[in-house]
Amino acid sequence: MAEGNKTIVNEAVDLLLEESALKGSRFAERYPGRKAFGFFCSYWPEELVLAAGMEPLRLLPSPGNANPSELPAYSCSLVRGCLSMALQGGFKGLAGVGFAHTCDAMQCLGGIWEETMGLAGTLTVVPPVMLSGAGAGKFFENELSILLNKLGGIAGSSPGEEELSGALDLCEKIRRQVTELDGIRAKLPSDLVAAVMRAGQVMPRKEYSRALEAALPALKEGASDPGGRQRVLVTGAVLETDSLFRMIEDLGGRVVADDTCTGYHHYTGPTRPANKSPLEAIVSRYTGMAPCPCRNRGLDGRTDYLEDLAAGRKAGGAILVIRKYCDPHAWDAVTVAERLRGAGVKTLVLELEASEVAGQERTRLQAFLESL
Amino acid sequence: MGQYYIGVDIGSLTTKVVMVDGDGKLAARATGRSGYSGKDVAERITARLLEEKGLGQKDVAATVATGYGRVTYPADREVSEITCQARGIASQFGSAGTVIDIGGQDSKVIKILKGGKVVDFAMNDKCAAGTGRFLEVMAGALEVRLEDIGDLALQARGHCQISSFCTVFAESEVISHVSSGASKADILAGVCDSVAVRVASMTSRTGLDPEVVFTGGVARNKGVAAALEKALGCPLTIPEEPEITAALGAALFARDINKGQG
Amino acid sequence: MTEKKRYKPLASSKYMEKTMTRYYALSQYHRFWGKPLRRPLAWVTSGAPVELLRAFKIHPVYPEQYGAICSTKKATEKLCQVAESAGYSQDLCSYARSHIGSILRPDLAPMGGLPRPDLLLCCNNICGTVLKWYEVVARLLNVPLLMLDTPYLPGEYEKHTKEYVLEQIHDMINFLEKFTGRRFDPKTLERHAGYSNEAVNLWKEIRELCRTTPSPLNGPDLFIQMAPIVVLRGTSPVVDYYRRLKQEVAQRVKEGTAAVDGENIRLVWDNIAIWSNLFSFTKMFTERKACFITDTYTGGWSMVLDPGDPIESLASAYTKVFLNRSPDFRARQLTELVRDYSADGFVMHSNRSCKPYSLVQEVIRRKVMKETGVPGLMVEADMADPRAYAEEPIRNRVQAFLETLGGI
Repeated sequence: MAEGNKTIVNEAVDLLLEESALKGSRFAERYPGRKAFGFFCSYWPEELVLAAGMEPLRLLPSPGNANPSELPAYSCSLVRGCLSMALQGGFKGLAGVGFAHTCDAMQCLGGIWEETMGLAGTLTVVPPVMLSGAGAGKFFENELSILLNKLGGIAGSSPGEEELSGALDLCEKIRRQVTELDGIRAKLPSDLVAAVMRAGQVMPRKEYSRALEAALPALKEGASDPGGRQRVLVTGAVLETDSLFRMIEDLGGRVVADDTCTGYHHYTGPTRPANKSPLEAIVSRYTGMAPCPCRNRGLDGRTDYLEDLAAGRKAGGAILVIRKYCDPHAWDAVTVAERLRGAGVKTLVLELEASEVAGQERTRLQAFLESL
Repeated sequence: MGQYYIGVDIGSLTTKVVMVDGDGKLAARATGRSGYSGKDVAERITARLLEEKGLGQKDVAATVATGYGRVTYPADREVSEITCQARGIASQFGSAGTVIDIGGQDSKVIKILKGGKVVDFAMNDKCAAGTGRFLEVMAGALEVRLEDIGDLALQARGHCQISSFCTVFAESEVISHVSSGASKADILAGVCDSVAVRVASMTSRTGLDPEVVFTGGVARNKGVAAALEKALGCPLTIPEEPEITAALGAALFARDINKGQG
Repeated sequence: MTEKKRYKPLASSKYMEKTMTRYYALSQYHRFWGKPLRRPLAWVTSGAPVELLRAFKIHPVYPEQYGAICSTKKATEKLCQVAESAGYSQDLCSYARSHIGSILRPDLAPMGGLPRPDLLLCCNNICGTVLKWYEVVARLLNVPLLMLDTPYLPGEYEKHTKEYVLEQIHDMINFLEKFTGRRFDPKTLERHAGYSNEAVNLWKEIRELCRTTPSPLNGPDLFIQMAPIVVLRGTSPVVDYYRRLKQEVAQRVKEGTAAVDGENIRLVWDNIAIWSNLFSFTKMFTERKACFITDTYTGGWSMVLDPGDPIESLASAYTKVFLNRSPDFRARQLTELVRDYSADGFVMHSNRSCKPYSLVQEVIRRKVMKETGVPGLMVEADMADPRAYAEEPIRNRVQAFLETLGGI
């Protein structure tokens, strides 16, 4: 842990950090009898998996450069890494794997998965692209209700309103807890917060909520003024390690606002509106999540969100992380950078092969933080 | 009438010339650095071979060229090195199987049927990863002679991980291993692993027959051969002269031409 | 010389050039006639339901086709560099990059860039990139963006998907009524859908004529001859053109005329053409008497509209496009082509610009090889950007592949 931070000693925090580092790799052994259902994208409706009696487990690649022959070298390391792990048996024991249709690479990975890992247990849900467009809500609801049936089929359950409601309550509770943590992140080491948030995607949700409940007081206790640290916003897709956040911390920065898929982005969205069925509530939550480059909420949805986020957290700089060959984020980077710079937020577009950062990135990050 | 047949393989690094007699038996061979003009080098080597055998141009019934420089060489026909490689290996080993060829600039996996017919093949992407050039750059970074890599790598106690496929980035990884105190042997073992993993992944594109022949200049590198055996999980057969098999195939094709005409 | 002998130009091409020149001239002068005739101009993705626009007298222009034109006119590299220095990554679609480059620097662009649009119509049935690309354009030019979301079909076209697409089309019609000040007339839509169908049927028949041995057409013919059906879809001139083309192709079949003299290898092509090197690339095949008798890409324009309500048939035809389908569907499609056209092998262009087309090709390749027993070759390049084309490694692969097929 970097200088100037209090050391936080707490059993619950340790558990969360451990789970985060394991990334679900010892799920079966640690949680015997539970059925884990893999997913890739934050648009994958966790509530439905929980309602069906399974545990949603975000699939993350292991470090290193994987090149499965099924994919060309110009596909992103997330799809290459995950496919490679799957082919080597790294994900066996899962009850199934779910693809939320988001980008072209995910669409293709879903197809390749069906061809290589088998159709059974491979599910796809297609959220509407124009989230506020005509018929989008109804279509999404239909997609979810079909998906719920399929999940029930896999789990051998027949989830209804009651199960959905329970799952929704649990997810909302977790989102509230994580939001509380997000509220004090400026006073906590960036990599610690990132790890705790990622843990909530790779361990059983009830256990996560319980552990976070127990950890929050200690985290609050350990919070301390960031002092002269440079306040930055980070946005990007999946970060399977804390490498980047740790380096920012090491170089005297602090991630005060996080919009990465494995970070706070995953927990955003409106809470259950009154007078709505659980399924409608789930639709409204996923529709209202922080904007993703793969979806459209008007031309300014995402830039507005990020500008507000940076302003609200008083971020002086923003780091736009692009995984090499990730089209949606690469496309958005131009517009987002222009908008943020216009708003007086210095912006660095950082292209990474995967999520680990090394010497080259250190130079760029250091120069960037020095410029703030 | 001539009764000898010549196969010329002009590769990116080395030029190989093989001569066979009317029965298709190996009569002579020689190799040289391709240098700036592989064609000139090939012509010089051919002339020298003929002279050594006391033969003249009239004794050569047909020539087939292969390799990167094949188009420029004045041969009776040019055939790609994949087809030639398959032919050369089939003539030496006779059986069906997989050929893994790692040369200076590219690596290939060729799946062949009995008789040398190519069923499918895969080649490396447009970069140096998994090729002789990759090894050469890493040898340079470690100040080791290219031909010593194999023996050194076999002495490794642990294998350093080289995760980047990009030659430039891998080179800086090698340098950072050096500065963190790893031994040359351990780093080189990692370098060999990197080449092997890259090439092994190409075999899943073609499918792998357990009878694998390893050819090309890099087949002389024991470190890569060992790493490749580990990555593939099966033993490799390495021809005595692994770099000349494509040229041999070309010479055999030259013999076919003549038969066709005769 | 040998190239000329082996490759036969079509007499119809002259008319096609006329048709296309007229279309682009009309488009370029739109600023003079658009306003007085109350006919706005729209930029449209290749897979968008253009019949709707036609029903509202909107003139469509196709940036994707323009991307191909830039490439054949050797302008892609410069235009891409313009987009790249504006921040758009080199790994993004080269059609999009060159088109954005042409907006930023019309002086570097063929025809001085495309005529400015009043409206954008984007349909994501071909990829997710078009959404991002059109968003950028909408911001740059400050024009409305109409987006038709055709959900990816992992399996079949289901009822709720159909309802969703229909609802969007109805919504679009409402918008277009306000935007153009014209009332929607189902009869007009039906007429344009009728033209589409006639042209599509003719194109389908022309393609099927290539089942004959030797094939009357080669890959580049298909790629060049598809131009009118892309930009003039839904109009009567396009029907006239394909009628003429069909006659000529049928005549070739009758006379036994081969597109590639002495054709002895029949191949199916998968993916968009390599526009930057279309002829030099094809020559590697024609000089060994190999002919591309059909392909998956230009076949995308041969999907017949179902009879019945034109809005429903548009929704269905545009959602069920092959690029919006699973690898399993696409493998079946390619397998059928190999069988129906008696192909000896197939060639896949792993196209860096087009991820949805390319990322699944290897699993399709294996499946089709297993299913049909014919070999498939993969070559990596790019549809438009010449910087991604490496002649020697490609020649090497192509030659080896053809040697396995045709003997040495």
